[in-house]
Amino acid sequence: MAEPAGQTVATRRPMTTRTKVLLAIAAVVAVDVLAAFVVPPFGAGGQFPRDAIIQNLEALAPHVLFELAPGFTITSTILTSWLVMAVVIVGVWLATRRLREVPSGAQNLFEYMYESLGGFAESLGGPAARRYVPLFLGLFLFIVFSNWSGLIPFVGKVEFLRAPTSDINVTLGLALVSFTTFHVEGIRRLGVRGYLGKFFSLRGFRRSAFDGFIDLFVGVLEFFLEFFKLLTLSLRLFANIYGGELVLGVMTGLLVVVAPIAFLGLEVFVGFMQALVFAILTMMFTLLAIEGHGGEEHASHEAAAALEGATDPHVAHPAAGAA
Amino acid sequence: MELIGAGLAAFGIIGPGIGIGILTGLTTTAIGRNPDAANVIRQNFILGAVFAEGLGIFAFVLGVLIILLK
Repeated sequence: MAEPAGQTVATRRPMTTRTKVLLAIAAVVAVDVLAAFVVPPFGAGGQFPRDAIIQNLEALAPHVLFELAPGFTITSTILTSWLVMAVVIVGVWLATRRLREVPSGAQNLFEYMYESLGGFAESLGGPAARRYVPLFLGLFLFIVFSNWSGLIPFVGKVEFLRAPTSDINVTLGLALVSFTTFHVEGIRRLGVRGYLGKFFSLRGFRRSAFDGFIDLFVGVLEFFLEFFKLLTLSLRLFANIYGGELVLGVMTGLLVVVAPIAFLGLEVFVGFMQALVFAILTMMFTLLAIEGHGGEEHASHEAAAALEGATDPHVAHPAAGAA
Repeated sequence: MELIGAGLAAFGIIGPGIGIGILTGLTTTAIGRNPDAANVIRQNFILGAVFAEGLGIFAFVLGVLIILLK
């Protein structure tokens, strides 16, 4: 962004941004039309929209590549998630190999990402969230690249590659990781007694038997709600990514060329947002779990105060406040 | 019969539609009242919209699965 002004003027063929964007769009459309002829999205014959759509739909279960033991299989989503992990790990390793005081290049990019996402996490969760920023970023990076891997041409179309998060097994595994994390953190912070006391509280019996039963009932409800967190975390991610791939398949079958590109753009956004939502929810659930009795209101006020303090309108624009 | 079920599942998109409508309306009102807080409001709006939309996607996936798994 901070390009020196003289550089652009000195170029031999001055190309405005508009021309560049139009050329890029034309190139994408040309590649798309060419690809539709070379690799048609539907086979010959059959009713046009119906068979084209059915051919582009993805099966629910991932393709089994080979079976190590009965019931223990390596599927296409596992292979792709290994590839995604390799890309993330190697990318991070390359970017942070030679750390310098004044960052440049890849290190600069990574520091920017870490700082903006970490700052975002802290603005949501307050100072207590600082401890969980690495977990937040790790989940976010893996999920966002998993989501985007499904948008690369041929991934999901060939048998041995498929977006990991479009498989319920992978998202359930990720949700189990975060489920375990927030319960272990809760027990570590509050102790087994204190943590279980959040759900099965007997303190209401001190006031009256009725209050005690109400407290116990609410506690049992909350206990079961914990398992709904696991369910909704995994289903939200799975349904969004799988649904996105279904939408892409249906739209490719219906509209064949050019128009599905718009949905590709939408899926890039959805993949980013869902990864962010998964990471944020994991962090917020962890912060909720480490709160003591009756501390929820206090914590949310603190988080709200942190949010307000981050962008205090009256400090930033005194004139606008006066108007 | 499965097709009727899948069609009924599509009704599940009504809820998130209403939700995102309310969300957008309130966000615009809030930004109109306090334009300085627009960034924070927009951030929360997008998060809320993603949550609401996720439920609509459930309905869509459910409908497709009813047809695929029959």
